[in-house]
Parts: sequence; structure tokens; C-alpha cells
Amino acid sequence: MMEDVLRIERLSKRFPPNIVALADANISVRKGEVHCLLGANGAGKSTFLKLIAGALSPSAGEMRVDGHKVSFRAPAEAAAAGISMIYQELDLVPQLTVAENLFLGHPPQRFGFLDKRTRRDRAKEALIRVGANFSPEDRVGSLSIANQQLTAIARSLTRDAKVIIMDEPSAALSETELKAVFRVIRELTAQGVAILYVSHRLGELREIGDRVTVLRGGQTIETFDVEGTPDSALVEAILGRNRTLVERRQRPPVTGDVLLKVDRLTAAQGLDIRDFELRRGEISGLTGLNGSGRTSFLKALFGAELCEAKMSLDGRPYRPKAPRDAIRAGLGLVPENRKTEGLILDAPIYRNATLPAMQGNFLARHGELKAKTVPVLKQLSTKYGAPEQKVIQLSGGNQQKVVLAKWIIKGASLLLLDEPSRGLDIGAKADLYRLVEELAADGAAVIVASSELEELYAACDTIWVFHEGRNIARFDPAITNQDTILKHQILGEHHHD
Amino acid sequence: MTDTVTGAPPMQRSGRRLIDLAIEYNFIFIFLVVVAIAAILSPNFMTPTNIANLFQQAAVVGVVAIGMTFVILTGNIDLSVGSVVALCGMLVAVLLAGGMPILPAIAITILTGAAAGATIGLITALAEVPSFIVSLAGLVSFRGITYLLTDGVPVSGLPPSFGAISSTMIPLFPGAQISSMGLIFIVLCIAAGALLRFTVFGESVYATGGNAEAARLSGLPTKRILVLVFTVSGIMSALGGILLTSRLRIGQPTAAQGLELDAIAAVVLGGTSLFGGRGGVLGTFFAVMLLQVLRNIFNLLGLGSFYQMTVTGLIIVAAILLNRFIDIRRGRA
Repeated sequence: MMEDVLRIERLSKRFPPNIVALADANISVRKGEVHCLLGANGAGKSTFLKLIAGALSPSAGEMRVDGHKVSFRAPAEAAAAGISMIYQELDLVPQLTVAENLFLGHPPQRFGFLDKRTRRDRAKEALIRVGANFSPEDRVGSLSIANQQLTAIARSLTRDAKVIIMDEPSAALSETELKAVFRVIRELTAQGVAILYVSHRLGELREIGDRVTVLRGGQTIETFDVEGTPDSALVEAILGRNRTLVERRQRPPVTGDVLLKVDRLTAAQGLDIRDFELRRGEISGLTGLNGSGRTSFLKALFGAELCEAKMSLDGRPYRPKAPRDAIRAGLGLVPENRKTEGLILDAPIYRNATLPAMQGNFLARHGELKAKTVPVLKQLSTKYGAPEQKVIQLSGGNQQKVVLAKWIIKGASLLLLDEPSRGLDIGAKADLYRLVEELAADGAAVIVASSELEELYAACDTIWVFHEGRNIARFDPAITNQDTILKHQILGEHHHD
Repeated sequence: MTDTVTGAPPMQRSGRRLIDLAIEYNFIFIFLVVVAIAAILSPNFMTPTNIANLFQQAAVVGVVAIGMTFVILTGNIDLSVGSVVALCGMLVAVLLAGGMPILPAIAITILTGAAAGATIGLITALAEVPSFIVSLAGLVSFRGITYLLTDGVPVSGLPPSFGAISSTMIPLFPGAQISSMGLIFIVLCIAAGALLRFTVFGESVYATGGNAEAARLSGLPTKRILVLVFTVSGIMSALGGILLTSRLRIGQPTAAQGLELDAIAAVVLGGTSLFGGRGGVLGTFFAVMLLQVLRNIFNLLGLGSFYQMTVTGLIIVAAILLNRFIDIRRGRA
């Protein structure tokens, strides 16, 4: 029987006033094992990791490292106790050398002076342990992502980490790079280091994991031995049995002609979309895990990201070089992050709402712009004081309506909505989808990308599953069970109705 | 996140708007306070002659600051303006001394200023490098070209009618007149204010400075807008140079050194955010006049430029802290 290096019991995190992000989570990580953490979007994985790494403080529960009770108030305390976190967005300083990064925050000292020689020697040792073939003098910015990943692992070693948490390390790595990282993980576990490995991908878990704990709805559901547990059991644990099924709304059959036809679209980071079609009046949902390429696809369609594409719009070849071209062709994008991409927070509501529509004019007639804005805001049942009010003063749902108003005022006929319901409450979500249906009934085509499958399930005519940059499966939600779609989303199996 | 204020009673709402307006235009109050202090300190301050002088002295930096306002509204900076003023001031002098008629000389000079600004804008927008460093290079190079024009020698012998551009006195109403230079400054302020307020280009400047990515995704030609604001700044610097040479009656290659800092100080003092998206020409106008009034007070009181510099710096810091404080109160920290 191997000893537990990290043991967590009944760990909870509540955010006031009444959001429970994690409830009574348990996990025990053994010395020298690779323990995987699995869960759907919103299952509580990131909260759990942040609690373990000291980036958040728990509301209740107990953590033990090597049998000693610990409570961390800051990430530095967790690091000192031997728990090291490697974030998906590696937190290395690209301008500094590998050796400088390895000892960032705890440089070896001699008589109060920086001891460069010791630093270089110890950096070399750590790099040898991770099997790196680059020098401690190299700049981190000049390394490949895989080598930066190795640098991050080596940094954990310089802090004598007992547990290294890796948050979706595979997201940015190629197949061969991932193999190299796996080889390092095996060597480290052989030396007694434990790895807590977070990933969406069952294939990786099969390759590297010893045990796996499944999170769902903020709770740890069960811990399995990877060997001998079938995929079906894991998927069932991720999805749960008693799912509340959402009522599918009655949608009239789509009879419009084909508006958008993508024969093939390829872009950076492995995006490769084939044979995507959209008819007038159709609401098409895109689902998939984080990094599956939904956002890149929408941005490429909108001309906001570079791509190679053969596609047509309304029967004519379509090649947008900038958002301007896409807007002229009748597209509108509600971006994923409304605050950084969707709105000018400091500007009045009506100026935000009429920004695309006023392009091409010389004069900005404020009275006219307001007159255009007000009825659309009313149609969207937006709650606001006056059209001159700054959008920063609106609630999230009403801000989102202003972003939508931009494209309604402009008269877009193909709407791209990227996570449009993020941060909205139930009422605002219902408003949003009601509006999307109205737009579709008026002949607009809509693509909605969302990680909330239930929403898509309720509102869409078609659902596409995106997996690692490809559109691998297409379902008709009227005749498909939600769980079937989720399985495809996780396992990446191909399917076309 | 604050919710909408639909529920607030109308009385409370109009009261709140009044306070918002007072906060938004705080620079006007500060300006009036400083003017009142000046009037108390010196009986010569509120005389028509002195006020006319104020506008004349403020005109060059004021005109340049108008252009700088456009640049800063997009979240950029133009350090080259002082050198462009000197370059254009020299160029117009060289052309006139060479016998060219006034109008074509001015036209060529303005085109040169526009080209200088557009160059900085193009490099900034297309190469996506910070305008700070591009315009710093402009500051050095344009000054170098200025010296090369005459090997560093001032140019004199300009036609007297050219001097009239800056110093014709125009009666406003009985007992008060203003120099043409001061009037040009005021007219340009109004024109720039109208351009920012009533045209799609003006809206686009604010949008690009407020959130460049959101502007791009709304279909705005953000790069073209950057090139245009730097072109506006170049044109304003050219006008500043023409006015300066007209007033001095000679082309002086060492003129306008450090003018870029005076212009930036005025723009920021006028409430325009260095991060872009907020502010305007009205604030710049009052800040330029405020700084000029300060200089004027010290002169009337017989205090030297050392005091002026010290106090000017303190006032700028105080104004920035005030705006920062307002931001924090509004929850934009």
C-alpha cells in the first residue's frame, strides 16, 4: 500500500451570496502516481485546483500534505509545502533565461548576493531530470511550447515539489511533444513525485493515468483505477444519471436556401473545418470542449482571424480579409468576451449600438443614431436609463443586448454568437434565445457556439460537435439524445445524421 | 456591477446628472478659480490687452495641443510635434525668403507637416510598434532635417505681410480685440471639437481609443484611423510652426524645443485619458489657457521661470490625482 502524499477531505468553496463552487470534495493522491482529474465544463475543476494551489482559500474542509494538516493563504505557501501548479497559460517570463525562470522568487544566495554559479548548476540538474536538451542560458521566449512546458516542470523540481498539478498540458502541444512530456512524467513518478493531471481527453488518461477522480456539479463523484474501468463508466460519471432534461422548443422545419457553405477552412492551431452548411432561418449550434476551435472558426468566418478558406455566401465566393468585409457581406459577431471585444464600456449605449451602422457616413447625427437605437433596445426588452448612459453601468445581460443591438441595427443576415449566454441569469438567457428565434424566423441564419449543451439542445436546428479543431459530428437535436452528443464531445467520435 | 438606474426618481436623477457634469468638466471650475486668483493678485490681469496677450501667447502650443488631443484619444502619443513645428516654421521661412508667394508656401508647409505625421502614423499602425518610440525617432530626425535646411542658420527677410497672419488685431466688440493668432487658435478648437463630436471619424477616434479590438470587430478601419490622427497632429504642428515664424518674423531652427511636453501636459490636464477613449478639445482648450494664465501671473508678480516650472509641475500632478480619484469613485479603477 502506497502512502498518500496529498489527502483532501470535505473541501468546500462558497462564493457569496449563495454560489457553491465546490462541495465536500475528497481526493487522495499517492506518492508516485499520476492521478487524473476529469469533469465537464463547470464541474468545479478550476476551483478545486486553485484551492489546492493556495490561489483561493477554502470555506470548509481539510487538506493534509504528508499527513500534516495545511492551510494555504497564498500560492507561495503551497509551493513551500511541496505543491506546485503548472498553469495552462505557462507563467514563465519569456524575456528571462531558463535558469532565471527556474529560480524566480527563490534565487540561490551567498552572503546576500545572487549566487549565479549555484543557480546554473542546480538548473542544469533540474533540466537533466526532465530530460531537456536545451541550456539553462537559453531565453525561455526562444523555446518551443513543449520545452517551455518542460521548463515549468523543472521549476517545480527546484522547489522540491511533491505534487505537481498540470492543468490541461496537452491543449497547446502536438502529439510528439506530448509524448515527450509523458516520458518526463513517468520518470518523475518513478522518483516518487505525484502528478495531478487535468484533462478533458480520455485517450490521454488511458495513456498516462493510474487513477482518476471524476468531478461533477462541484462534487467529487468517484475515484476509479484507470485500468479495468471502461470509457462508458467514466462518461456516465461525468454526465450523471439523473440529468434534468431541458424541454426542446418546437421549431419549424428549416426551408430556406443555403446561405453559407464552407467547403474547407483551415487556420492556425490545427483548425480544419469541412463541409459546413447553413440555411436561411437556421439556428446552428457549435458545441465542443475548450480549445475545440469554436471561437477560431467564428472569428475566421468574420475575417478577424487569418485563415485559408474555400467558401461561399449566398452562392458567391466569400473571402473576408477583415471584419469590415464580413460586415459588408451581412455578418455580425457577438464575441466571446463582451467587455474586451464587444463593447466600448466608457461610451454611451447608443454609440456602441450604432458603431457598425454609422460606418461609411461622414456625419454622426446623434439624434438619428439614438432614434435608431431606442426601438431595437425595446425590442430586446433592455433595461436602461437613457440612450446616453454609459454601457459600463448596465448589468451583464443588458450589455449583451447592446452588443446584439449593433447587428440588428446594422441589419446583419448571418449572426455569429460566441458564448452569448455567459454570465447571464436564467431570465436573460431565455430573452436571448427567444430573440435568436425571432431573428431566425425573419430569415436570418444564426450560429451559436456554447459550452452549455442544454441551451443549444433547446434552441438549435442542428448541433455540430467540434473536437480538436474539426467539426466531427452533426446531430439533429429533435431525434438525438443529449447524452449521445456529450459522448461525442468527450470521445471525439465521428458522426453525421 | 451596477444595475440600471431606471428605478430612481427623476429628481434624484437630474441631481445626479448635474454632479456628473460638474465632475466631467472639473477643469472649467479649476480654470475659473485660477483666473479669480490672478485677478485678485494683479489689477493688470483682467485688462483687455492682457487677455488678448494671453490668447496670442497660448496659440502655438494650443494649436499643437489640439492635434495631440486626437492622438492621445486613440491611446497613442506624438513626441515629434516640437520638431515638426520647428521644421515647418523653418520650411515656410526658407520658401518665403526664396521669393515664393505666401499661399503656396503655406500650402507646401502644411502638406509637409501632414506627411511627417502620416509617416509616424503609418509606421505605428502597420508595424504595430508603440507610437512613443516611433515619434521619439521623429523628434530626433525632424529636428535634424530642420538644421540641415540652412545648416542651422536662422532665416530672416520675410515679407511683412506674412507677419500680419499672426498679429493683425481684430476687434471683437468695442474695447476688446484679439490677435488673429489667438482667433485662429479658437477657431481651430471649435473646428476640432465639431470634427470629434459630429462626424463618424470623431466617433471612430473615441471608439478606437476606448477599445481597439471592439472597434475592429465592429468594422472600423482602426489602422486608417491611427494614420489619420497622426496626420491631424502633423497638420496642427505645421500650423503651429507657421504661426510661430509669422510672430517671430524669422525662421528659427532651435525653436519649439520641449513643446511636445507642454502640449501633452495640456491635453492630460484637460482631462483626456492617456489610455484613450475619454476627453476632448474643450478640456485641452481650458488647460492650455490655464497654463498660460499661470505663466502670466508669475510674470505680473515678477517671479521668475524657476517658480513657474515648479508650480506648473505641481498643478499637473494635482490634476492627475484628482482625475484618478474621480475614476476610483466611479469604480473604473
